[in-house]
Amino acid sequence: MANSNLPRRIIKETQRLLSEPAPGISASPSEENMRYFNVMILGPAQSPYEGGVFKLELFLPEEYPMAPPKVRFLTKIYHPNIDKLGRICLDILKDKWSPALQIRTVLLSVQALLSAPNPDDPLSENIAKHWKTNEGEAVDTAKEWTRLYASGE
Amino acid sequence: MDETDSDNYYYDDCDDDEANLIEEEYDDQQNFTVLKEEEIAKLQEDDITEVSTVLSISQSAASFLLPQFNWSVNKLNDEWFADQDKIREKAGLLEKPVVQFNLDSKNQMITCGICFEEYEYESMSSAACGHPFCGDCWRGYISAAINEGPACLMLRCPEPSCRAAVGPDLISVLVSQQEHDRYKHYLLRSYVEQQSKIKWCPAPDCKYAVKFDAFYGTRSYDVSCLCSHSYCWNCTEENHRPVDCETVRKWILKNKDNSQNAQWILVNTKPCPKCKRPIQKNQGCHHMTCTPPCRYEFCWYCLAKFESYSVRCCNAYRANGADLAKMELELEPNQKKLKEYLDRYLHYFERWANNLSSKQRAAESLDELRSKHIEKLTEAQQYLSELELNFITEAWQQIIECRQVLQWSYAYGYYMPEDERLKVELFEHLQGHAEYSLERLHKCAETELQPFLSSEDELQEKFHEFRIKLTGLTKATKDYFDKLVTALENGLSEVAV
Repeated sequence: MANSNLPRRIIKETQRLLSEPAPGISASPSEENMRYFNVMILGPAQSPYEGGVFKLELFLPEEYPMAPPKVRFLTKIYHPNIDKLGRICLDILKDKWSPALQIRTVLLSVQALLSAPNPDDPLSENIAKHWKTNEGEAVDTAKEWTRLYASGE
Repeated sequence: MDETDSDNYYYDDCDDDEANLIEEEYDDQQNFTVLKEEEIAKLQEDDITEVSTVLSISQSAASFLLPQFNWSVNKLNDEWFADQDKIREKAGLLEKPVVQFNLDSKNQMITCGICFEEYEYESMSSAACGHPFCGDCWRGYISAAINEGPACLMLRCPEPSCRAAVGPDLISVLVSQQEHDRYKHYLLRSYVEQQSKIKWCPAPDCKYAVKFDAFYGTRSYDVSCLCSHSYCWNCTEENHRPVDCETVRKWILKNKDNSQNAQWILVNTKPCPKCKRPIQKNQGCHHMTCTPPCRYEFCWYCLAKFESYSVRCCNAYRANGADLAKMELELEPNQKKLKEYLDRYLHYFERWANNLSSKQRAAESLDELRSKHIEKLTEAQQYLSELELNFITEAWQQIIECRQVLQWSYAYGYYMPEDERLKVELFEHLQGHAEYSLERLHKCAETELQPFLSSEDELQEKFHEFRIKLTGLTKATKDYFDKLVTALENGLSEVAV
């Protein structure tokens, strides 16, 4: 099985993720495939996502850590840098990836993105436009979506 | 003149006229130099060495810096001496490490930040910043970057917040020969593609580049590569004197929009004689019926009203018979304007396109002449030597060159302001003369050589006449076209607006 020759780096990262989880983040590998992680991120305080529990999936491709992990939101979320398929616009997941980054650092960056949406570098044009023209209303929609889709039930 | 000689100063020992011709043509220094890969590499190396010497930095640092300054040695020198620290910081050229390990012994174990394995410090590598990673991880990191493409020329230390340069010195010792070659290839490509004086020859599969030095002889960007492709260096389209690159760009763009439709309509349709809509003949018989509401029935050939097959035939040739198709249209003003615009465009486009295809056919004829006819001629006409037949080759070369000029002169015509009547008249006058002369030359070259190819007899006398005629036409045509090109490149300034 692929899991048997898992690089030591992945094993070490996994152990550390389980033993010392970052605040507000949990990540556990799937039993069938140790390269696939079920992730949960709590909506950061003072953000429109506060109180929400967001599910993500994270996959470590064969080339990891030379290539970045693939991360996607599974929970529907109203955010200018996340599209309706859950794909995330985040530089370290693309050209700014470095093999010295880790699953932990990636997830912390995603969490930070929830606290600081960046409508100037949008993935969802519509949501970004909404954010720029009427931030208050956009934030209300984000809160509403958090209540509807991320209330953890 | 033989083409293989054309890139050298070359004096033939054949006859004086030819030597004079060559001398005249290459009197001035050539505007450009064709570069082979080794020559490009040499130029690149010279630049790297110069920067390395002047800035007192390593060759590796110099070749990491130069692409970031579009390989402009002067710009890099200026900015470096204006603010060296800024350049160093921007490029990630550190003077001393940012991390230091106070190790008890050289074989103390350190954890590699990528694979999380422990290694002896001595066995690890780092860029100038000092962040150590193990050899395998470095190799993986650099290989991945090289596989990603030319961005590997700006590689940084893997440590996320560190911007230290990973240059050729580190790369060359860490990766395989094959990957190192790819890296060097990217470096060479960036040398050609990022600086403004050198460009790749655009011919398919050609590996040469052409360096444009300066306008010496002519103010023209026409160059020809060692692969025999001739083109305009500035815009990389074919040679297009007398029009400028901007006009060529506009014209090509316009043709992309319009020509496929326009040309198709021109070739495949005729306007209905009654309602003037373009009609495509989609069935075998020439009895046409226009679509409703027009329903006009007419003959495809003569466009006359169709009565019945028995009544009339149009097989007999009648001059101006097709004039029926050109009957004055009764169109709305807007439609009329649009039609005028399209007609005008079609007029120029058709002539531009016809000269293009004439030029291509002339090039084929020249090939045929070289590969077949010359041999045949020297066999059939024993008194001739190959050298004496150069005048025919020259005639065809002249035809090809003139077709190209004539072709582009139609793009010139299209963009002439219609209200500058005097200029338009002068243009049409010069173009008319040139075209007429070229047609005579082209016809003479095309048809009058034939008898000598097939004849069993020696026709020395007649051949002499042919030679005088063709040479004369070649010269005359060249003169007309020189005049045309000069006048158009001067913006027809003889005529006051």
